[in-house]
Amino acid sequence: MRFTHAVGVPIVMCGLVVIGQTSAGHIGHRHTTIQLENAWARRAPSMVQGGQSSQGRGAMTAGNGAAYVTISNHGSEADALLSASADVATTAELHATVEQDGKMVMRPLPKFDVPAGGKLEMKPGGYHIMLLGLKQDLKPGETLNVGLSFEKAGQMSVEAPVK
Amino acid sequence: MRRTLVRWVMGLCCVLVAPAVLQSAQFAGQALVPPPPAMDFTLQASDGSEFKLSQQRGKVVLLSFGYTFCPDVCPTTLMELSQVRARLGDAAKRVQMAFITLDPERDTPERLGIYTKAFDPTFIGLTGSAEQLAQVRTMYGVIAEKEAVAGTSAGYLIAHSAYTYVIDPEGRLRVLFPFGLSTEEMADDIKQLLRS
Repeated sequence: MRFTHAVGVPIVMCGLVVIGQTSAGHIGHRHTTIQLENAWARRAPSMVQGGQSSQGRGAMTAGNGAAYVTISNHGSEADALLSASADVATTAELHATVEQDGKMVMRPLPKFDVPAGGKLEMKPGGYHIMLLGLKQDLKPGETLNVGLSFEKAGQMSVEAPVK
Repeated sequence: MRRTLVRWVMGLCCVLVAPAVLQSAQFAGQALVPPPPAMDFTLQASDGSEFKLSQQRGKVVLLSFGYTFCPDVCPTTLMELSQVRARLGDAAKRVQMAFITLDPERDTPERLGIYTKAFDPTFIGLTGSAEQLAQVRTMYGVIAEKEAVAGTSAGYLIAHSAYTYVIDPEGRLRVLFPFGLSTEEMADDIKQLLRS
């Protein structure tokens, strides 16, 4: 597939991204060699009246958002981000935006590989965590807690300010 | 990647829009030389009013196509354009941004209004009938394809070209901003158009 070359990383298109537990913020494995930096989320409306969803959600489907983190692997073993979670969203998925035939296309990925000694930089127009079904508006000045579940490093979390 | 994009847009413009498209040294975006008149359309604005492009003369109009379910490219564009307006200071009064939906099924005027205003209160969301919207996409050479994607609970996604179309105060299509241009570069290009 052409877009695999565009990103430079093998992309496997099948497979559902498993959603991590909502109890983000709990660091399970302390001997990790994974470092999380530059986390942020883009402002986004929840599409729900008054910016709060709960039961009162009207006919409008909740909005989506995106969060970005740079993951560095200082260890000698490759690791992979398997899933992400955020309390503010119903679902979080690992996605990549790739350019294909003049279009920007989004692809859900089953995992983000982080090679040993390497890093994976999420950014607009590239790898990102898609936050689906926002329960509240993401407003600048607020901070999201994003849970990240790694194949080897286990469960980690990071504070992502909304910009 | 960027090069493919440039080639693609140049090819497209040659076919659809302009007698000649040249990369101008003057603009950071892709300049259309000579600039063709921006093709006119009327769509429904998110506030319920009618938006007619030719009634925007005197302003720089920024047209961007997208959909509110888009979590990455479209909101990035809107956020950056809001930062561009902030960079323009007082001159921002002469800039009108319009976000044209590629997803009229899900993007109601109300939804478009909430969405665009979350980025900038002056931004307008535009929708219309499927035919009207298809016509506008053709006018501007926008590619958009609805696709069911496995592995996401987003329902369907829309693969689409991601340019911002910049129309000068005389109603000519002057510059295309490709995705990824800096807010500084975009603001400088717009300043030039407001000066000329």
